[in-house]
Amino acid sequence: MPPAASTPPAPRPGVPRPAALLLALALSLAVPGLRAAGPGPGPGSPGVPGAPPPGLLRQAARAALHFLNFRAGSPSGLRVLAAVLRGRAAVDARRTCRVDLEFTAERYGPEVADGRLGRCSARVVFRHQKPRPAVNVTCTRFMETSRRRREDFLLYKRAKRLRAPLGATSIPDSHGWIDPSLRPIWDLALLGSSYVMWERTTQTLQYYMAQLSSVNQWKTNEDAIDFDYTVLLHEFSTQEIIPCRIHLVWYPGKPLKVKYHCQELHTAQEGSGTEEGSAVAPTQPNNF
Amino acid sequence: MKWILFFGALIGLSICGREKFFGDQVFRINVRNGDESSKLSQLVNSDNLKLSFWKSPSIFSRPVDVLVPSVSLQSVRSFLKSQGLEYSVTIEDLQALLDNEDEEMQHNEGQERSSNNFNYGAYHSLEAIYREMDSIARDFPALVSRVKIGHSFENRPMYVLKFSTAEGRRRPAIWLNAGIHSREWISQATAIWTARKIVSDYGKDPALTSILEKMDIFLLPVANPDGYVYTQTQNRLWRKTRSLNPGSACVGADPNRNWNASFAGEGASDNPCSETYHGPHANSEVEVKSVVDFIQGHRNFKCFIDLHSYSQLLMYPYGYTIKKAPDADELDEVARRAAKALASLSGTSYQVGPTCTTVYPASGSSVDWAYDNGIKYAFTFELRDTGHYGFLLPANQIIPTAEETWLGLKTIMEHVRDNLY
Repeated sequence: MPPAASTPPAPRPGVPRPAALLLALALSLAVPGLRAAGPGPGPGSPGVPGAPPPGLLRQAARAALHFLNFRAGSPSGLRVLAAVLRGRAAVDARRTCRVDLEFTAERYGPEVADGRLGRCSARVVFRHQKPRPAVNVTCTRFMETSRRRREDFLLYKRAKRLRAPLGATSIPDSHGWIDPSLRPIWDLALLGSSYVMWERTTQTLQYYMAQLSSVNQWKTNEDAIDFDYTVLLHEFSTQEIIPCRIHLVWYPGKPLKVKYHCQELHTAQEGSGTEEGSAVAPTQPNNF
Repeated sequence: MKWILFFGALIGLSICGREKFFGDQVFRINVRNGDESSKLSQLVNSDNLKLSFWKSPSIFSRPVDVLVPSVSLQSVRSFLKSQGLEYSVTIEDLQALLDNEDEEMQHNEGQERSSNNFNYGAYHSLEAIYREMDSIARDFPALVSRVKIGHSFENRPMYVLKFSTAEGRRRPAIWLNAGIHSREWISQATAIWTARKIVSDYGKDPALTSILEKMDIFLLPVANPDGYVYTQTQNRLWRKTRSLNPGSACVGADPNRNWNASFAGEGASDNPCSETYHGPHANSEVEVKSVVDFIQGHRNFKCFIDLHSYSQLLMYPYGYTIKKAPDADELDEVARRAAKALASLSGTSYQVGPTCTTVYPASGSSVDWAYDNGIKYAFTFELRDTGHYGFLLPANQIIPTAEETWLGLKTIMEHVRDNLY
């Protein structure tokens, strides 16, 4: 794991004060010629002051993609960051950080090697050390809408026939193996997690879904897939593993309904949230 | 659960003479205060019951593990009940557990032996890795030796492979570090593959051969053996060491925040429960101290490379400060060439830069320590992938990852060979 700072929100005990990344940002704004490595032109031009640290741009890109994935509500159409192309960042007096950026995204999935990239532009606003960044993002399509709908529907049909292993589980297992028949569970778990990961992302904290650790409920007898599960999120830069219980209801083409509760293992903070992708009044949630 | 090494390390003199443990149990007793602790110690120290501590009590409250022979079960249960001590039975039949373990390991041994060689495209137990290291050393005695540089907190050996054509002369040396964070399995797997690669290619690959004509290579595939065993037996996502922290129920320190380079500075935690806990003081972790002592004793290291996962990054100092390292320009140029060589195999793309601005500030890291101690060519690799599988990288990516990483490593080592100082 990259040796990295823990600069989380203030309430966490025992963690150094979150000055480091802002200092890095401030200094980089004053230091000309800071270039991002990797393909494509770096943010700003060499020798021009104002180039933000590459880490911040990638942070913003990932937040934008989590948000996009959640809003799209399509487990076949999940996207991941390919490369940051360019970006600008500005910090105001209240330490709100606004990032404008362009990046490429590719389709999520192990079997996907078609190399097709979508191009995205986004504005991501991080309130000082607070999660739930405001995101405005648009991406070009990397797959025709009709094909995506078809794939979602195929996934839905496979999910309806699937008898999920209830209880504690490890998907993938220790050796990185996901049984192909269980793939719909993984994709839906990632879809729900996208909402959680977007909500939790700050300037300095980002997330990946490490493992599905429990399937609490998998109901497919009604129209929608009703899925209650626990996922382990890997948090950068603290390196913590955060268990989150997520409950989602999904039907292809409909906005995703999701609620969640994450455990904070050794700090006072806990986090939970609920969201619907549309204006429909929430149905009575399961209690947990 | 592979308790064999752990078991072997902890069982004390009192039961050395016994060979079988039918019906013996391990009790985990919730000792809440010093008073209860002394009562329990009294019980264990009393000769007649033949008890022994598996996890020694400290004066602070924490669970204590006690091995209870079957004949003493009844007495111990009554005692605990009368003292109001809470407990649970963590091992219900020690012999059954050991028999199970034996069977599993024999089965695995059978698998690897029957295919006549160690399967480099799979993840292995600590014992299997150590056996393969020994096997490589015995197969190529003129080139390789397996050296014990110390031991872990739970008393497992720390083994290094030394590749040298020098016959006793202390040449300038390269240190390849792997597995310091136990959950990053691709790191240990890449390291053992690299060991086999070196012995296979010496004398055939001109670049490697010329490197070994001038320098020695030291490879530590499992820098955190206790953590690695723990990821195989208890928690796949364990990162730290397994050292006990007095006064805390939380175990372990982050071995890559424990080095004496801006120790306890920005980018590490002072909370023992944190994944980036730096430990009570620099080199408090015996696993770290073993490497530090060895390298400092040798006094002629020129290159230190630390393998981690995941993120696909190739970084150089500093992590603990945003200030540019004096050799940053040269290190950046070398790193870019190495990343390009790596990408040439399968297109795997790495980001390059100093740790602090490529990711985030960090303190107490191994490469910063190496650099500040005169080892100029200090690099961190964050291997595959970029978050799809993360730590749980599928085994079928081990060999592709190791092969491409080798190209990057060679680029760096060639540069060191041509720029000895």
